[in-house]
Amino acid sequence: MTAGAWAWVAHLRAGGTTPWQSWTSTDAADEGGYLPGAQQLELLRRLNVAGRPSPALVERVLTASAPGRGRPDLELVGVGEPRRFGPPAVDPAVLSDDELLRVATGLLAAELAAPVEMRDVAGDGPAGQPVSTSRRRPPRTRRFRTRYELAGDPWLAAAHTRQLTLDGRPPGGPGRSVHVLGSDLQTMLAHTWAAGSFGTGAPSWPDFLARVRARRRLPRRVDLPGVVERFGARPHTGRVGVVLDLAALPRLVGVRRLEPVPDVPAHATELARQVGAALSLHVVPAEQAELLASALLPRLARVAGPLPVVPAEHRDWVEDAAFGLRQQLLRARYPVVGDPDELLPTWSEPVEGSVLGLAIELLLEEAT
Amino acid sequence: MSTRRVYLHVGAPKTGTTYLQDRLALNAASLRGHGYRYPTGPHGDMFLAALDLLDRPWGGMRPQAEGEWDALVKRVRRARATVVLSHEILAGAKPHEAQRALSDLSFAEVHVVYSARDVARQVAAEWQEQLKHQRKVSFKTFLRQLRETDQRKATRWFWRVQGLPGVLERWGNGLPPARVHVVTVPRPGGRPEELWERFCAVLGIDPDWAPREGARRNPSIGRAESTLVRRVNARLKEAGLPSDQYRSLVRQLVVHETLATRPRMQPVTLPPDAYDWAEEVAQGWIDWVRGSGVDVEGDLEELRPVRPPADAVWQDPDRPRPRDVTSAAIDAIVALTLEAARRPDPDDTLTSRAAKLARHLRR
Amino acid sequence: MSRKVLLHVGTPKTGTSYLQDVLFRNREVLAAAGIAYPADRPDAHFLAALDLMQLPWGGLQAEAIGAWDALAERVRGHDGTAIISHEILATASRSQIGRALDSLGHNAGAEVHVVLSVRDLVRQIPAEWQENVKHRAQLGYGAFLDQVRDPERATRIGAWFWGVQEIPDILDRWGQELPPEQVHVVTVPPPGGAPEVLWKRFSQAFGLDGIDLDLEGERHNPSLGAPETTLLRRINRKANAELAPADYRPLVRELLAHQTLSRRTSSPRLALPPDLHPWVRELSASWIAELGARGYDVVGDLADLVGAPPVAEYADPDRPREKQVAAAAVDAITALLLDDARLRREEQRLREELADVRGALERAYATPSYRVRRALVVRLEGSGLGRGLLGAYRRARGRSSRSA
Repeated sequence: MTAGAWAWVAHLRAGGTTPWQSWTSTDAADEGGYLPGAQQLELLRRLNVAGRPSPALVERVLTASAPGRGRPDLELVGVGEPRRFGPPAVDPAVLSDDELLRVATGLLAAELAAPVEMRDVAGDGPAGQPVSTSRRRPPRTRRFRTRYELAGDPWLAAAHTRQLTLDGRPPGGPGRSVHVLGSDLQTMLAHTWAAGSFGTGAPSWPDFLARVRARRRLPRRVDLPGVVERFGARPHTGRVGVVLDLAALPRLVGVRRLEPVPDVPAHATELARQVGAALSLHVVPAEQAELLASALLPRLARVAGPLPVVPAEHRDWVEDAAFGLRQQLLRARYPVVGDPDELLPTWSEPVEGSVLGLAIELLLEEAT
Repeated sequence: MSTRRVYLHVGAPKTGTTYLQDRLALNAASLRGHGYRYPTGPHGDMFLAALDLLDRPWGGMRPQAEGEWDALVKRVRRARATVVLSHEILAGAKPHEAQRALSDLSFAEVHVVYSARDVARQVAAEWQEQLKHQRKVSFKTFLRQLRETDQRKATRWFWRVQGLPGVLERWGNGLPPARVHVVTVPRPGGRPEELWERFCAVLGIDPDWAPREGARRNPSIGRAESTLVRRVNARLKEAGLPSDQYRSLVRQLVVHETLATRPRMQPVTLPPDAYDWAEEVAQGWIDWVRGSGVDVEGDLEELRPVRPPADAVWQDPDRPRPRDVTSAAIDAIVALTLEAARRPDPDDTLTSRAAKLARHLRR
Repeated sequence: MSRKVLLHVGTPKTGTSYLQDVLFRNREVLAAAGIAYPADRPDAHFLAALDLMQLPWGGLQAEAIGAWDALAERVRGHDGTAIISHEILATASRSQIGRALDSLGHNAGAEVHVVLSVRDLVRQIPAEWQENVKHRAQLGYGAFLDQVRDPERATRIGAWFWGVQEIPDILDRWGQELPPEQVHVVTVPPPGGAPEVLWKRFSQAFGLDGIDLDLEGERHNPSLGAPETTLLRRINRKANAELAPADYRPLVRELLAHQTLSRRTSSPRLALPPDLHPWVRELSASWIAELGARGYDVVGDLADLVGAPPVAEYADPDRPREKQVAAAAVDAITALLLDDARLRREEQRLREELADVRGALERAYATPSYRVRRALVVRLEGSGLGRGLLGAYRRARGRSSRSA
């Protein structure tokens, strides 16, 4: 039946979508040294179902090894003698999404890392330095601008700072005002997780929440009163205040308007997190963060969907913590723009998006 | 000019003294406005002054205390107000030390205040205190030694500070009974403010003058936790841990911050056969107080031990369930591991400062 | 181009750390004998293996980037015999193995030999659980055994276990392109034998006989008893969420597991549960028959894989004697206290030294003299302040590589 398996491989190479269990042909086909694993073959079949992978992508899928820990490359059920050793052969149709996702994220990571690795091989640019994929010239800094620095919610602060810098308004300067950005605690936690996932790495969303809870401390940047105190203690800092009403931010930083920061939905962030983990095998952490932010984020920002939702078992402590934040801000009489009640989360039901489906879309996008 | 008064609160240990002292210190400014001083000077409390008077080695801390008593007396003399002095180790003063204190303060009208609690609870509390000072004595032995010692001879520290008649005979020597005040500690379950109010009543303070409270500490631990500390002490004896390290790592981090916060601990209690003895001790104290005519704030009945219900099964503090000891130990291990992980790597701070210095020098 | 490459690919817990330690320390002696062990740091081959197999490893992967190709290049550049050794290579997939063999010159004239050292499952199964627990696992022995026995091997633990332990499958993968006489199986002798027997077998398999090697060093990875492993597992359960991997390694794995709990040798050892012996016996017999039939070069005796009979008194680590766990815990607390105290003392010493130097510096400014300043620099450096003694101490305590 090995011939059948090779024939199926040829079928998939040609863009076929027939599942293995329905495959009956044993037509002669080219045979390689060893059959690709069931995970790789099934991923290729799914790519064929979803679109038209390029020949180059097909080859990359068939020769890929899944990075990280998990099940080894598995053999197709019904090929040759039943194996007496090694993992049991499988019907590729029943493989879990996670197994296919390992292969897919490995391929996406390799794709992102390719320019960096080429550069390292070619020897231009020192290895280990973050590579900027946006070759745009740094904008001219405006002479007259409001001195500011953004802190607090890491996702909002980073995105607005990037935007303002591109507009010729980099942060900093003596006497700058520090605006500590905040929103409801569920959103701030989701943003912190997203910042890690698109940065140097994060645990999964449930693990992230479990860790915050176990530490009995909010993440540093989300602990708004703490942030205010830390900045207040720094030299050359002007007014330090909390901004909960983002509509007021343009005025505070001296611009007419600011583009709203797009939220990346939960399943897209999860994909970025897994691609990041695979990327950590190719590049150093600083480059990993740079590649995710500059090359992957723009592609994922188009994906629609809600932020991750705090599941029921964590809602009590998140509510308590949010209430605590609000109390601390009120009691310490820090300057707050907006209503401190904004910090309190409102709950909604989670919406599941397919991480694997998204990974397949991205792979196909690149292939065309 | 009216007579100046000094209230000298001498103990006993384990009667909420730290809470009282915290509250006096936290509200010192407000009390000052009402003519009361709590002159700790440069320190947070009066421990060093008390140690100087008592002249005990106290884990190597004696040299630090040199001259502190005289300095305290000087501060009292300068204060033109009613002064409150408080430290619980003062209860352990020998007769000549108490005499010296009273005569040093004789420029004012001295009142001695002694807070007292039922002996059954004091035995358990003092045993744990011993464990927190790196001792490894079992509860059984500790109790036997107490029962075998004459509390009036006061050869044991426990009786020196907890033996009510002895303490008040030493500290009340030469004072009219009306200037010796016994404050009884309320039974558990009452209003938390009760003890503070009794103390204020003796001092003539309106409790509202001192609204700010410190933390209410309950540093007591259960039988599994006590056993764990005993075993660790035994091991540390072999290995040797300097006493300042013992204080910050074992007493503070392990016992106070970790073990004392464990839920559902089983309290350390007297064995059933010891209650007759404890009641006898309490009766002796009550008789002494009544006979001496000293002032009482509270209720002397509160000094009697509360017997457990007849059907209660006594849990031997020396034989906790091993599973509970393991569980306490794991809490301690985690706390210590996190503490070690939290210690800033001196590589980053100290040595980089040193490297900076070195660069500076080479220029 | 290396004429001959000896590729030692596993399995864990078969004395591999000792072998790698000997090879690393004797690199120059080996080089003189024409044998290359190309490594600039003790864990060089571990990093290369991580790179080849695309395994993240608690942040270590950043150091592993490109490590395999670099290693392969050095192997290709050597004229003679080269040795590569790391036990996690056992789990490599066929495509990774194909890439590895290619990069070592397999199809370009080099004679590649695969060496697999093996030990009976009666010892390997409990050892692998213990290794998991030393790497933050929280699962009990029973749950571990269930996952190992799941025929689907669907969990990470089951997949990893068989990936590094199923000898016929490992050799199927690694031996796919090699003639059987280039595959060498080294068996670990049964417990209780003379300790140098295993080394003699390694020496024979790697062709080291007659080379004057320095054989000092720890022969064994220290192993833990049943109550100690249980204690560690409970610590993981409590501390995992809060303790970062970089702190877990030096404090829990090194200080507690390796330096403290492994010294408690009188507590009951971990063992294979008696009721699993029939299953393991049957499985081992099928492996022995298979390996015998394949015609590999066996150094030692395949019968070593049978394993010892069940222990007389089995100590179930999921139902430990709490007294023993508590006693181990007291040792752990003591070790942590002493270590913490030592760290604080060292910190204090550095602080005083610094204050001292600062004072001297001020005096030096008062009387400007090159000689005085020079003397100060020398003193500062001599004190270790400039180099960061404590950092080195911590790093030494927390070796970053996993030995299995």
